[in-house]
Amino acid sequence: MDNYRESVLRIENGSFAYKGGRRVLRNINIDIGAGEVLAVLGPNGAGKTTMLRCMMDMLRWDSGQSMLYGEDIHGMPAKKLWSRMAYVPQARSAASSYTAFQTVLLGRSSRIGVFASPSDRDMEIAERVMKQLGIYELADKPCYAISGGELQMVLIARAMAAEPRLLILDEPESNLDFRNQLVVLDAISALASDGVACVFNTHYPAHALQRAGKSLILTRDGRSRFGSTMSVVTEENIREAFGVNAVIGEVETAENILRNVVPVSISSASQRESSPRVDHDGSSGASGSCVDQNGSEECIASITLIFDSNEYADRINRLMHEYEHLLIGRMGMPYRKRGLHIINANVDGRREEIEELTHRMGLIPGISVKTTYAR
Amino acid sequence: MSLTTDTTGKTKSSINNSTGSGSRSRGSGAGRSGRLPALWKIILIIMPFAAALIALGIGRMQISPGEVLEVLRLRLAGAHASSTLIEKTVMQLRLPRILLAALVGAGLSVSGCAFQSLFANPLATPDTLGVASGASFGAALGILMGFGLVGVQLTGLAMGGAAVTLTWLAGSGRGRDGLSYIVLSGIMIGSLFSALVSLIKYVADEESQLPAITYWLMGGLDKANYHTLSLGAPVIIAGILLFSLIRWRMNLLPLTDDEAKASGVDIRLLRAVTIISATAVTASCVSMCGQVGWVGLLIPHMCRMIFGNNHLSLIPASVSLGAVFMIAVDTAARSISAAEIPVSILTAIIGAPFFIMLMRRSGGWRV
Repeated sequence: MDNYRESVLRIENGSFAYKGGRRVLRNINIDIGAGEVLAVLGPNGAGKTTMLRCMMDMLRWDSGQSMLYGEDIHGMPAKKLWSRMAYVPQARSAASSYTAFQTVLLGRSSRIGVFASPSDRDMEIAERVMKQLGIYELADKPCYAISGGELQMVLIARAMAAEPRLLILDEPESNLDFRNQLVVLDAISALASDGVACVFNTHYPAHALQRAGKSLILTRDGRSRFGSTMSVVTEENIREAFGVNAVIGEVETAENILRNVVPVSISSASQRESSPRVDHDGSSGASGSCVDQNGSEECIASITLIFDSNEYADRINRLMHEYEHLLIGRMGMPYRKRGLHIINANVDGRREEIEELTHRMGLIPGISVKTTYAR
Repeated sequence: MSLTTDTTGKTKSSINNSTGSGSRSRGSGAGRSGRLPALWKIILIIMPFAAALIALGIGRMQISPGEVLEVLRLRLAGAHASSTLIEKTVMQLRLPRILLAALVGAGLSVSGCAFQSLFANPLATPDTLGVASGASFGAALGILMGFGLVGVQLTGLAMGGAAVTLTWLAGSGRGRDGLSYIVLSGIMIGSLFSALVSLIKYVADEESQLPAITYWLMGGLDKANYHTLSLGAPVIIAGILLFSLIRWRMNLLPLTDDEAKASGVDIRLLRAVTIISATAVTASCVSMCGQVGWVGLLIPHMCRMIFGNNHLSLIPASVSLGAVFMIAVDTAARSISAAEIPVSILTAIIGAPFFIMLMRRSGGWRV
């Protein structure tokens, strides 16, 4: 694996069943490192929230374990655990009687003594986190008087006030409008690019494709698939997990190529067994190049990157290093006049891998990435 | 970290600069930190003493605050006042009673506040949770058995604890959607214990015990003396001190289970400590002066409206205003008419309309 990133959270063979009920989760194995985003996908009732609660030891795995920095979470002192890991509940199930600032300050609880009250430093951290998330102007408003999207951001701020290395979010963008979905997802991407590992449940496979480097798909019968988002969020896996025939398409913007999932029809049970292909000619082949469902085809491509921050240069370098075996050569130059970096990388390898590399680069906020494949 | 790319961050940064950290939340007497501003601190400390000073002079025998101060000053110096009648009235009749009123008011209102937060329910108070009824039953049982005040307190505590446990068992486990179950089951358990109180009255001796129990149940502070105080006060004072010490942490009480766990604090211990202390304080109050309703609901609500929900300011405010309210009500109870009016009747008569007025004016509140 990548020796640059340390493993933050690992789940080994996690299985869980409710008392007297069917097995909800079977042999879950995941591994995420600093700065990585994991999306947990699955239909209603597949156990997404259960999965998060087991992950955090709020429910006990029947077998298997969650390891935080190589240490079993179960039995870890609460104070130690919750100063490394933070949880963002669904906004509708959160308590909301305090002002936004006081709510964020509650995130410092594990670091404030039983008989103590928040210190100036705690207050500064709460203020700083709110400013970073762009919600500082809400500070003095009571949480019941702000919108759902704002409350979600306040809850993220509360979690971040604990200065965690791992952030776990339960359906952070559900019940939000387009704009607020983006605000929340942007916040997750930005936190990840600062090195915080993020895990979020979502109903939207497209959000996994656009934001998460890794994905876990749960099906209702307890099976799961974990891996890089590009390899996990596929039409086939969506059909198997959701029972929906969907098309994964690409939308080209000036900066990027975004992947989107369009649900087409409900697949019948028999179809699910035999898993026939949905005909989608031309939809995912928008770039007009070699499309192979297995992705095993060898391609030559040129990846162009434009970004404006020096800190990203390092991350790009690390990614390039990880995919060194694909590289034919690269050329990069800082364009000082505009404070931009422009990098061109030429690669040769399996199309699947090239797509994965492009995808992972595209997850870095504020970057423009496009890949041109040779005919 | 650099989250300035966040869509809201860019546009709002100019507004951020104009809101200094010293700004206050709207309609709230507490600052952003949740601490009381210095002026409020002084007011809240002075008010109970001022109320007590005034109350010491009011009664069938009017004594001016100057004379009251003189008596207190002389007594503190170990000397005696020139008028033994004034001294006896102030020191033996009024002072213990006012101290009791202050303690009971502060105790009931602080435990009401704790119960509201614990159950994340504005209607959860010693009265609605059945704690007061349970404690009344225990205390009545204690009187029936001929126990002394300590015994009465203990049986009151035991039964109050039993009542709140039953209420919790009957009404919890449904998450926040099931909050009304707590109050509904509290009403059930409360009426169960009220029935048991009636049973005690039924079997009590008509000549001696029944009048004692009946009168005591109506709630009155007229039997206050230093002996009663010395037995009941320590529990109430200890409870108030404890809540004052852990008051910031009490902010975690209304959170949902998962949120509370994720705070990294031992939430079960915090809840257990809260419920035991609040029940003990309630039982002590009930055993000393019967069931005085409304205080535990009215005062915390008033404080929440003025100071917001942060316990950092809510707890001291509840203690202070609870004491002031009870001193005022008890003074009225003993001086409005020649015959003393039971204090619980007055708290209800004063409390209900005042409460409705506050509610309509502020447009409600949350816990």
